[in-house]
Amino acid sequence: MNFLRWLSSNRLMAPAGASSGTGAGDGESSDHDLIKASQKGETRACEVLVTRHRGRVYAMIQNMIKNEADAWDLSQEVFLKVWKALPKFEARAKFSTWLYRITHNVVYDWLRRRKIDFVGELDDSVLMEADLAAGALTSPTTVVRPDEALAHSELGQKIEAALATLSAEHRETVLLREVQGFDYKEIAKVMGCSLGTVMSRLYYARKKLQTQLSDEKGTN
Amino acid sequence: MKKEQTEELFVKWMDGALTPEEDRELASLFAEDPGIKEELVAIKSVTSRVAQEVPASVEPPYGDFFNSQLMRKIDLTKEARRPARRAGEWWRSLGWAWAPVGGLALVLSFFAGHRLANSGRAERLVAGPSGPVESISLPTVYSVGDSLDAEVIADADGQVAAIVVNGIAAIRDDIDFGSVTSLEQLPQGYLSAEGRRFD
Repeated sequence: MNFLRWLSSNRLMAPAGASSGTGAGDGESSDHDLIKASQKGETRACEVLVTRHRGRVYAMIQNMIKNEADAWDLSQEVFLKVWKALPKFEARAKFSTWLYRITHNVVYDWLRRRKIDFVGELDDSVLMEADLAAGALTSPTTVVRPDEALAHSELGQKIEAALATLSAEHRETVLLREVQGFDYKEIAKVMGCSLGTVMSRLYYARKKLQTQLSDEKGTN
Repeated sequence: MKKEQTEELFVKWMDGALTPEEDRELASLFAEDPGIKEELVAIKSVTSRVAQEVPASVEPPYGDFFNSQLMRKIDLTKEARRPARRAGEWWRSLGWAWAPVGGLALVLSFFAGHRLANSGRAERLVAGPSGPVESISLPTVYSVGDSLDAEVIADADGQVAAIVVNGIAAIRDDIDFGSVTSLEQLPQGYLSAEGRRFD
């Protein structure tokens, strides 16, 4: 922790009754309060905001790209972009929608860099290449990984495999709706497409998932 | 009914988000083809399993390291932005303090003029027959503009001196400057060219 952050941390963590700025550093503050404090330059508030949302962002990216090391790096990139863009963030917008929009852009930039063709579906060889990426070996690992969480159940594994057969757009739509719980309009904002496109993607993605999983059932 | 509309109805039915009117529309579709409902029920069951099995939030490995790395990047970005801002603020902070400085510079310029060459350029002297001269008083050249450069060349005895002025337009052959007594006698083209040089 550097000196600047030490100062801001102490100010925000001062005992009750002491001057504590906005008090946005505590875990009970709303996103709105934390954003306002971050916009004023309170580093501690920004850190609380990151801690609060990093799990969802990381899970979303990990489910999209299936590479732990890159998901970690891309999550960092997302929050750095969030910090840079925070002064321009308007309170009337919903923070989570804005955050996932940035996440969407970061992920798709990464996918473009990796030259994955979105028109077709992701094939297994691409995912295996990603798993064998040089960065993956040196990245920090932990006992509970997103894919391991899924692997707790056989069904989870099947769902993961079925999700991997979807195109990036279909997979993202399903994840935003079923896993992250966004409504249709929010999904349209995050993905930068029309409401009709969201509905269509949801329908076909779900249908394909169902087909994949029933095929699995048939072969087993 | 359009394909897009039916897809929307199907999705909303699976999510339990139909309005009463949409519900009636879908009921008529189910009545026409009971297979549709069976298909949607199967899809709905898969959808709910995705929500149960895929975690919405997974802590990134080494959460503390994640934050400290991020904050370090933020600090570096701040540092990278700071010098430029500081420089800008420094200039702006002086504000009207520049006014007396400017005035003083004006006064000094007025009194001092633009000195282009001085008498100390002894290395430019041409040695005469009697050998190098230790001290000769050379003329000092002043000019109204700093685009001009001049050098003084004198002979060893200091009897003959030449002043070479660089930076002015070539003296035209077609004008007899010796006979010119006023500016009106000079060609207009020459005057305007010279005027532009000193604007």
